[in-house]
Amino acid sequence: MNLIFAITIGVLFGSGAMLMLKADLLRVVVGLVLVSNAAALTVIASGLTRGAAPIEPLPPGKPVADPLTQAMTLTALVIGFAVTALLLALVYRVYETHRSVDLDDLSRAEATSGAELGREPLEREDEREELEV
Amino acid sequence: MSLLLAPLCVLWPAAAVLALADGRRRAVGWSTVAILGVAFVLLVLLAVRIVAEGPVELVGGGWPIDVGIRLRADALGASMAAVSVFVVLAALAQDVAAGTSARLLPALMLFLALGLTGLFLTGDVFNFYVFFELAMISAYALSAAEGGPRTTGGALIFAVVNLLGSFIFLIAVAALYRTTGTLEMVAVAERAAEIDPNTAILIAVSFFVAFGVKLGLFPFHFWLPAIYGSAPPAVAAVLAGALANIGAYGLLRFGGGLLPREVELGEVVLIALGSASIIYGAIQAIGRRDGREVLAYSAIGHAGYVIVALGIGGPVAISAAVLFTVVNALGKGLLFLVVDLRGPLVGAAFAVGAFSVAGVPPMAGFFGKAALFEAGIEAGSVAIVVLLFVGGALTFVYLFQAYQQAHWRPSPDDSRPPASRGARLLPALLAVLILAIGLWPEPLLALADQAGSDLTAGSARP
Repeated sequence: MNLIFAITIGVLFGSGAMLMLKADLLRVVVGLVLVSNAAALTVIASGLTRGAAPIEPLPPGKPVADPLTQAMTLTALVIGFAVTALLLALVYRVYETHRSVDLDDLSRAEATSGAELGREPLEREDEREELEV
Repeated sequence: MSLLLAPLCVLWPAAAVLALADGRRRAVGWSTVAILGVAFVLLVLLAVRIVAEGPVELVGGGWPIDVGIRLRADALGASMAAVSVFVVLAALAQDVAAGTSARLLPALMLFLALGLTGLFLTGDVFNFYVFFELAMISAYALSAAEGGPRTTGGALIFAVVNLLGSFIFLIAVAALYRTTGTLEMVAVAERAAEIDPNTAILIAVSFFVAFGVKLGLFPFHFWLPAIYGSAPPAVAAVLAGALANIGAYGLLRFGGGLLPREVELGEVVLIALGSASIIYGAIQAIGRRDGREVLAYSAIGHAGYVIVALGIGGPVAISAAVLFTVVNALGKGLLFLVVDLRGPLVGAAFAVGAFSVAGVPPMAGFFGKAALFEAGIEAGSVAIVVLLFVGGALTFVYLFQAYQQAHWRPSPDDSRPPASRGARLLPALLAVLILAIGLWPEPLLALADQAGSDLTAGSARP
């Protein structure tokens, strides 16, 4: 069971991390959702014990599963949900101002608007690099 | 009602109610400031009590100990909570005085203060995560609150990078629960010695990465200049003066308090990364002309001092790290508040902040730097003392450059009108406070001393 969980978490985290490296902001958000679920699954996996459901009245003499990790996972999921909503709102705002959710387009637009404002292109290049990291 | 619970009980309902009100109205703004002021006073009272009587504890919901969630405040938590809430208070007051443009800004500041207070005063690892996310989510929203394409882009990068850090932290918490079977910080510290060393190192590295990202330490710093440069001044002040404290606190609490053996093992790595951070931040800051960017890179450099102190270890170094974090938070908060302003008083406030951050007496920052020197001398390492001196000298150079750029050289294209009197008066008050702490540092020194001995006593117990 531990192995299955470990592999699943690894695959989830890996795909999430890969998506986060894309230039498309929606993919970045989806990648973050995958990573958040990998974390939630890790919390579940940290309390993997064999036993009956921990519901009152407890079965006498038998081991029960750890209820604490379930509560923690629920909390982590709610937080992940809130964060996803916030990120999507931010991405939508980016889309509203730039009509694009591609980071390459964004930095290009920023470079041209910077040139229009009369700032030195060198300085903008510098900032663009930071944005792309 | 317990003094421990009081700040949370003041902030929570107020934040929820004020989220419905229009924060652009002056009455709403000033009442938010008043509520934060009350919370700050309560936290100061708590800190005074802790210095007199030792750590305060409270188990939530009347549950027996080890079942209920525990709130626990020691000198480290209380001092960090007080200084963070104070910086939030100053930034909010400044923003309200200048006229808030974002509707939700005051309420978000309250939520941020609530999250910070909660995470500094909790004694439960998972509870720490919940409050931590509350503070971080408010910060993401705050950094995007002003609108504007550049701000939104910066906020998005800030949110994505820090969320990745948060999830790594959550995974580390799960691993800690798996290996120790408890979430209580005190119990975790007791059982940490029994963890299999290989696992413990993995956990410690995860915590280090998570808090390194928050603090903006050298290899994890890349998100920092983008957001510090684009956020509105009040928000940038809060990020640098209050939110960065989470990283410092987390490293001290989880590194120095819970996993001290692993910190000892990684001593060389910590000192090397800290030194790299100090040098990198200083050199980048010297090359910048924009005041905001100078301050952003300076924040990366100052993150390094905390890590170096943690690497040195021992009560003297830990209390130096606490002291440095507190005074540096005040100085950085002040600098970010005044960096975009023009007019009389503002230049003097900037100079006081710059001297404090560079560690020139009689400003508060001097005692932070002096404590770090003391720790370096006690460790008997010439290299560390030289590094601290060079770092301090470089700080002085780039902050003075920034000051000169902003206040001595009247640029022809600077059409910004001088700031309103309220917005200029507040940084001046903050500057006077920094001077006052520099002239009468005994209470702060006592608090930092106790924080250092508390943390190292907890780890030496088993």
